[in-house]
Amino acid sequence: MPGESAGEGLAAADRYYRDYGCRARELKRQGKKIFGYLCAFVPLEVLTAAGFIPFRIKGDVNEPITKADTEMETIVCPLVRSCFDMSLKGNYEFLDGIVIPHACDSICRTYDIWKYTLNLPYSHLINMPHGTDDSSLNFYKAVLNTFRTSLSRFAGREISDQELTQAIGLHNQNRAKVRELYELRKASPPLISGAEIAKVLVAAMGIPIEESIEMISGVIDEVKQRGGVLASKPARIMVVGAQVDNVAFIQLIEDSGAWVVADDLCPGAREFFSYVDATDDPMDGIAERYLRKIKCGRTYREMKGNYQEYLEDRFGHMGQMIEDFDVDGVVLYIYKYCDPYGFEVPQIKSYIESRDTPVLYLEDEYSMSTIGRLRTRIQAFLELIGSK
Amino acid sequence: MTEEKKPEERKKRKTAAEAASKIGPMVKATIGGTVQAREEGKPIAYSFICCGYDEIIRAMDIVPVWTENYAGICAVKRDAQRFLERAEAENFSRSLCTYALCGLGFDAWREELGEMPPNPPWGGQARPDMMLGSGQMLCDPRNKWYQAAQHYMPDVPVYEVGLPWTPYEDDYDYREVQDYYVKYMVEQLRGLVEFLERQTGRKMDWDRLSELVDLADRTWNLIWEAYELRRAIPTPMGTGDAMNTMVPMVFMMGTQEGYDFYKDLYDELQRKIANKEGVIPDEKYRLIWGGGLPSWFALTDFNYFNSKGAVFPVETTYRMVEAIYHFDIDLTKITDPLEHLAWRWLKYWTYWYDKSKRRPGSHPDVERLIQYIEDYKIDGIVMHEAFSCRTWHVGLIWQLNLLKKIYRDIPSLILESDIVDISSYNEADTRARIDAFIDTLEAVKSRGR
Repeated sequence: MPGESAGEGLAAADRYYRDYGCRARELKRQGKKIFGYLCAFVPLEVLTAAGFIPFRIKGDVNEPITKADTEMETIVCPLVRSCFDMSLKGNYEFLDGIVIPHACDSICRTYDIWKYTLNLPYSHLINMPHGTDDSSLNFYKAVLNTFRTSLSRFAGREISDQELTQAIGLHNQNRAKVRELYELRKASPPLISGAEIAKVLVAAMGIPIEESIEMISGVIDEVKQRGGVLASKPARIMVVGAQVDNVAFIQLIEDSGAWVVADDLCPGAREFFSYVDATDDPMDGIAERYLRKIKCGRTYREMKGNYQEYLEDRFGHMGQMIEDFDVDGVVLYIYKYCDPYGFEVPQIKSYIESRDTPVLYLEDEYSMSTIGRLRTRIQAFLELIGSK
Repeated sequence: MTEEKKPEERKKRKTAAEAASKIGPMVKATIGGTVQAREEGKPIAYSFICCGYDEIIRAMDIVPVWTENYAGICAVKRDAQRFLERAEAENFSRSLCTYALCGLGFDAWREELGEMPPNPPWGGQARPDMMLGSGQMLCDPRNKWYQAAQHYMPDVPVYEVGLPWTPYEDDYDYREVQDYYVKYMVEQLRGLVEFLERQTGRKMDWDRLSELVDLADRTWNLIWEAYELRRAIPTPMGTGDAMNTMVPMVFMMGTQEGYDFYKDLYDELQRKIANKEGVIPDEKYRLIWGGGLPSWFALTDFNYFNSKGAVFPVETTYRMVEAIYHFDIDLTKITDPLEHLAWRWLKYWTYWYDKSKRRPGSHPDVERLIQYIEDYKIDGIVMHEAFSCRTWHVGLIWQLNLLKKIYRDIPSLILESDIVDISSYNEADTRARIDAFIDTLEAVKSRGR
């Protein structure tokens, strides 16, 4: 059942985006248990199967980071610092637990800081391996079963295979809805703007999975119904980066004379485009998806074939998206102190440019204070695309 | 192309321990040896220090190029900036690990020229035949750096070895899960052996590997025993020297030369203690280097501390061993060398877990600090936050806060700079902060008198 006066479709997304956490707060009052998490690598299916509501902790580009600096070094990724800052400032006071994956140094190395400082009733680190070979997959499955056992202890009951299978079905349904939503971006001009999509996806991070499915379905219906209301713009842009959990940057590009029609981001295509397969042991499908199917810089994909084939294996999905969504240029948007993506910049840039698609690489600090500088760079990039 | 710049001339840092003064020539010979090995066609592997499988590399007669070490040498020689700038020109962010940036800048330049960049420190970094990544629970550069280096050396294969350890958690004991961690590590190490066999055309000599594993075990014990001698008052060796004496620990494990070095160090420290010969004659303050890698270009800061009457009898940085006879399992009974390596690795990283569980609200990293503070009679803590490294420099503030909460308030100082990038360092500011810290130590001491 949706939240109080949430509205439907884009209105619901707007409300949940602007007042992020409002629905979780309501549910907490109703006695539900809310589990905060960071990053796309927490297997939400397990939390859902346990009867807990996953809630993704987000930062705020408009809020200066202050309290976090009393516990966490400023050399940590600014997004993680902002998430921690928001938590310390009481924005997520409804959390019953926190689950953090071994995603990157900024997340993994701060686990103890989160755990000891927030001091929530439950905390757990999912020690995901970097490799994707068979032994890494088996190890990861064991790690996930440790998580399942740990959650069961906290819940005071077993998490059954049937519950997991149902949770997998729900999360896959949500992913299918996001894919359907992305189809609306393929038209020229797109039927839905990049900023609207970003808002929907961020809103979805903070509500129960059933309500997310309902909200995204409502958005799809509404957008189809309103038809082609967006004006034509000269460039179609794809954004590649780590986690962008606000609309400011996407809005900036769209205000500068382009539509953002595709992405390789979290939340975004990277996170939603792959499904959990139905397997006899549901944990097999979950392990396969999170370790092998989500193509993120944090995961080390073993080299098969020659170097060109290796690049294709790592970045081919970006090339496919450029084609499928008729992209004119790519903005590679990386936060300072981002190790997984920072090391990939030359390779991603040269891979995409080798396909005759121009790339603008921007390093940013997760703060509205940099918007002016970014605007100048984006405008120059769009002029370059326009002159081609 | 980056302009060649002449490095700033530096005077050699004064060491207290004779053993420490041998390190410079040893490292120079090692790096020169890798360049020579390249010319002789010996198999060369880029490798990370404290990788956990040194003995495998040694048993197969592969010549390791310790890439972090080479970046550190460039920093010590104050000749890293041109390589950092080259990496930046390649679109690598300056906020990334500057060991990696220095190495990547060097590689990009060497591959462009087809030869070493001009006047490379100590002969340069030899082109590898393979690169051995290391996926642990820390240090993203260990699985990203060599992958990124393939952009310049697409013909050089990378092998990634997963060696995780069990997290410290409240909701389960690490022993519940340790078996599947060891099983995974053994599989990963076996995969490494197979990879090296394919690359070199050689077969692993398993008996030799077992011998080297045993040699490394004995070296671990010897290092632990030697470093424990530093509890003496006055302490016979400080952290400044330990930043030298760590070299055989992290670059020569599984070699007789490494073992012999620590035997000499042990003997030297015993001799100094017998003669009451300390780093400085009159110790006023005993400090712990409680976290962070040092600024390799500013090791003379340790001498500056000494000039103020402060010594560092102990550090957590680069103390990458424990006495294996203190582990809760008998490693000597584990005869399979890969299994042995895996258990040693896991028991090292979980060594402080049990002790931490016994103190409410504690954490292994903090428990280790407490133990050292007590064992080495410590008056204050100094840490270093290197801006480019999240591996060792995140959690320092929190550790100090927790220490104060569960143990006691103890004077502390966090210096801020980098490991390689000298542009982040200001000597006058650093020394002003050290002076202020010394004043605090003195004030605390005075109150206790």
